[in-house]
Amino acid sequence: MKSVKNVLALVMSLLLVLGMAACGGSDSDSDLAYVKEKGTLVVGITDFAPMDYKEEGSDEWIGFDADMAKAFAEDLGVEVQFVEINWDNKAMELQTKAIDVVWNGMTLTEEVKQLMGCSEPYCLNGQVVVVPAEVADQYQTTESLSGLNFAAENGSAGAEQLDALGLTYTATDTQAKALMEVASGASDACVIDLLMAGAMIGEGTSYPELTYTVQLNSEEYGVGFRMDSDLVDAFNTFWKEAYDAGTVMEVAATYGVQESVIEK
Amino acid sequence: MLMDVTLSLLEGFGTTVQLFALTLLFSLPLGLIICFGSMSRFAPLRWIIKTFVWIVRGSPLLLQVLIIFYGPGLMFGLPLLPRFTAALVAFVINYACYFSEIYRGGIQSVSRGQYEAGQVLGMTKSQIFFKITLLQVIKRIIPPMGNEWITLVKDTALVRVISVYEIIWMGESYIKKGLIWPLFYTMVFYLVFNGLLTILFGWLEKKLDYFR
Repeated sequence: MKSVKNVLALVMSLLLVLGMAACGGSDSDSDLAYVKEKGTLVVGITDFAPMDYKEEGSDEWIGFDADMAKAFAEDLGVEVQFVEINWDNKAMELQTKAIDVVWNGMTLTEEVKQLMGCSEPYCLNGQVVVVPAEVADQYQTTESLSGLNFAAENGSAGAEQLDALGLTYTATDTQAKALMEVASGASDACVIDLLMAGAMIGEGTSYPELTYTVQLNSEEYGVGFRMDSDLVDAFNTFWKEAYDAGTVMEVAATYGVQESVIEK
Repeated sequence: MLMDVTLSLLEGFGTTVQLFALTLLFSLPLGLIICFGSMSRFAPLRWIIKTFVWIVRGSPLLLQVLIIFYGPGLMFGLPLLPRFTAALVAFVINYACYFSEIYRGGIQSVSRGQYEAGQVLGMTKSQIFFKITLLQVIKRIIPPMGNEWITLVKDTALVRVISVYEIIWMGESYIKKGLIWPLFYTMVFYLVFNGLLTILFGWLEKKLDYFR
C-alpha cells in the first residue's frame, strides 16, 4: 500500500511540475477578488475533532477551525462551503482551485511552507506518543521507545518525528487510523497531534483505554492558501482583529483548545 | 446506532449506484463505437483506437480518475469538473474500452460462413449485422459482461480519492468515532447488489438459450 502511495505521489508531483510550467505566472490576478466574485470560500477539511467535525446526527461542520472559518467568510462577505478532502491531495486541491483554503489544524512543516501560502501560526501543537494506558509507565522517555512498533499518518508531522528518531512505523492514511492500529493491537504505539490526542483519547472519549506519554516536539498550526495569494494578508488582518475583539478565545474555549491558541 | 449507520451508508450507496448506472448508460453505447473503430478497415483509425484502448486498459483506473479531476487545473489552469462528473467521465472512458473488446470478441466469434451466406442471399451489410450477427453476439457476450459489471460495482470504491462520498468513504468516517464495524458492514451492500446482478445475468443467459 505504501509503495502505491509513493508511485501516486511521484505521478502527482510530475503533474504538478507540468502544471506549474504550463501556467507559470497566471496567478497574478487577486485571489481575494476571485473568491469575492464567486461568492464562496471553499474550505478544505478532514474530520478532525476538535478542529473540524460534526456532532452526532448533525450535518453542520463545527469545531475551532470550522467556526473561525465561518467568521472569516462572513468578514469577507462570502458564503462558506466545507469540503472533506483527501489529506494527501491538499496541495493539489488548492492549486487546481477545487478548494480555496486548507484550514484543518495543519502543522506548518517545511514541506507545507514550500507548497502553500501560509498564514501566521495561530495555535501551538506537538507530536505525542500514544500507548495503551496499562503500559504507559514503561514509555515515559524518548529512549524507552526503541523496539516499539509504531503507526503514524503517512507524510504527517508525527511520521517526520519518527523518521528523525530512526524509529520504524506503519504508515496509515489518517491519524484516526493510526489510533485504530493501537486500539486494535496491530501496532504498539502511534504518534499523533497533541490537540487530537487531547480530544480523542482518554476517559470519556472513543478510546478510553489509550493515553499519551512523551511529547516529541512542539510545532505550530497555520492556515494554507494558494502560493502568493493575497488571502494570506486578509486572513492575518482578520485574525488579529478577531483576537483583539476576544472572538478567537471565546470560540477556542468552546472547544477546549484555549491553552494552545497563540497570543497576538 | 445500527439504524443511523445504515442510513448514512445507504446515502453513500446511493452515490455508488448512481455512478454504476450512469457509467453503464454511457459506456455501453460508447464501447460499441470504439469497437467498430478498432475493427475499421481504415488502418490509421484502427491504430489510433487500438493505442487509445491500450493506454486506457493498460493504466490504473485510480490514476485516470485523479488525472481527469486534477489534470485540467494542474496542467492548464482550467476550472475543474465537479467531482462526481470527473469520476463519471473517467469510468465511462475506462469501461467503454473494456466493453469494446468484449463486443469485438463477440462479433468476431461469429463464423465467416454466416456473413457469406448472408451475402449470397443478397442481404446488405447492416442487414447481416442486425439480423444474423447481433443476436448471437448478445448471447455470447453475456458472461464476460456479467464479470465486467460486477467489477464495476467494486471499482466505484476508487472515487473516494477525489472525495466523492461513496459507501466506503461513509463507512470509513466511523473509524474516527472509534467504530470499525460500519466499514465491514459496507460489504453487505456490495454482496447484496452483486448477488442481484448475478441472478439477473443467470436469468438472461437462460432466456437467451435459444440456439447452440
